[in-house]
Amino acid sequence: MNGRIVIAIALLALAAALVFAARPHEVTADERIDQITTELRCPVCQGLSVKDSTSETARQMRDLVTQRVREGKSNAEIQAEFRAAYGDWIFLSPPVASWSGLVWLVPIAALGAGLVLVTGRLRGADAPPPAEPSATQVAALRERVAREEAAEG
Amino acid sequence: MLARVVRIAVVVAMLGLVVTLALAFRRDPHDIRTGTIGKPAPVFTLERLDGSGKVALADLSGKVVVVNFFASWCLPCTEENPALVRVYERYRASDVVMLGVNYQESRDNGLAYVQRMGMGWTTVADDDGRVALSYGVFGPPETFFIGPDGVIAGRHIGPIDEATLVNAIETLRARAAR
Repeated sequence: MNGRIVIAIALLALAAALVFAARPHEVTADERIDQITTELRCPVCQGLSVKDSTSETARQMRDLVTQRVREGKSNAEIQAEFRAAYGDWIFLSPPVASWSGLVWLVPIAALGAGLVLVTGRLRGADAPPPAEPSATQVAALRERVAREEAAEG
Repeated sequence: MLARVVRIAVVVAMLGLVVTLALAFRRDPHDIRTGTIGKPAPVFTLERLDGSGKVALADLSGKVVVVNFFASWCLPCTEENPALVRVYERYRASDVVMLGVNYQESRDNGLAYVQRMGMGWTTVADDDGRVALSYGVFGPPETFFIGPDGVIAGRHIGPIDEATLVNAIETLRARAAR
């Protein structure tokens, strides 16, 4: 009984922590700039975000994002500006609702196909062994074997 | 039955992947299709490198415009420059305008390079890189072909040769003449 109470309290504390972490709060301009530049790919780097790169191009992109945020543009508007120039490639994580979003779908589809295959195999292994032949079937088989042996001489 | 369907699906997916890769490898790596191709060229007004005023893309409407992003620190730019000079001389009295956009360097360095390399066409300074970003430039040299309708018809990443330049220009001129 005590154990259940402890578990219930722990679950409640966990839920409260999650609610507290997910509470709506005012996102600052700097947080928005960080968020947008973290998602943007540095065009002259190897797999680096605009936020992490020290290249001149990344610095110019950060300046542009900062200016757009200060102008009151939404994240979507700023992202659309970069997409118009560079395509979806400019995002480190391809948008789900696009052709490049297939990269998200393919692993899930592959996992599903694998699960189906494995389930199929396991079912095959669990299948009941074939039933024993009846006395009539055994007799018929013996008769056939004897007939074929006689025919071969 | 279901396992068989899955097996067929896997084979079809693998074939699709092979075909996609085969098609991708056949493409010219200089001809990268990004968001700007087929769309109106982003407008800009930039100062001339020599400080003699400004140039607005809007003023070049109705002409074939070749926009070339370059920098003096860019070795491939030096490599492609003779082809640009020859093409400029060929079309300088026509409806074709060449415009050099100096990229990520000081105006002094850019201007010295322009004079040293014999670049007679108009060159402008993209000081904050905004124009390059609006065109989706990865790095110099990059060349954009804008038709008389103001739409970006083509793009070449890396050093360009004379034949590619002439071919792109003539295609746009023929389209405009129709």
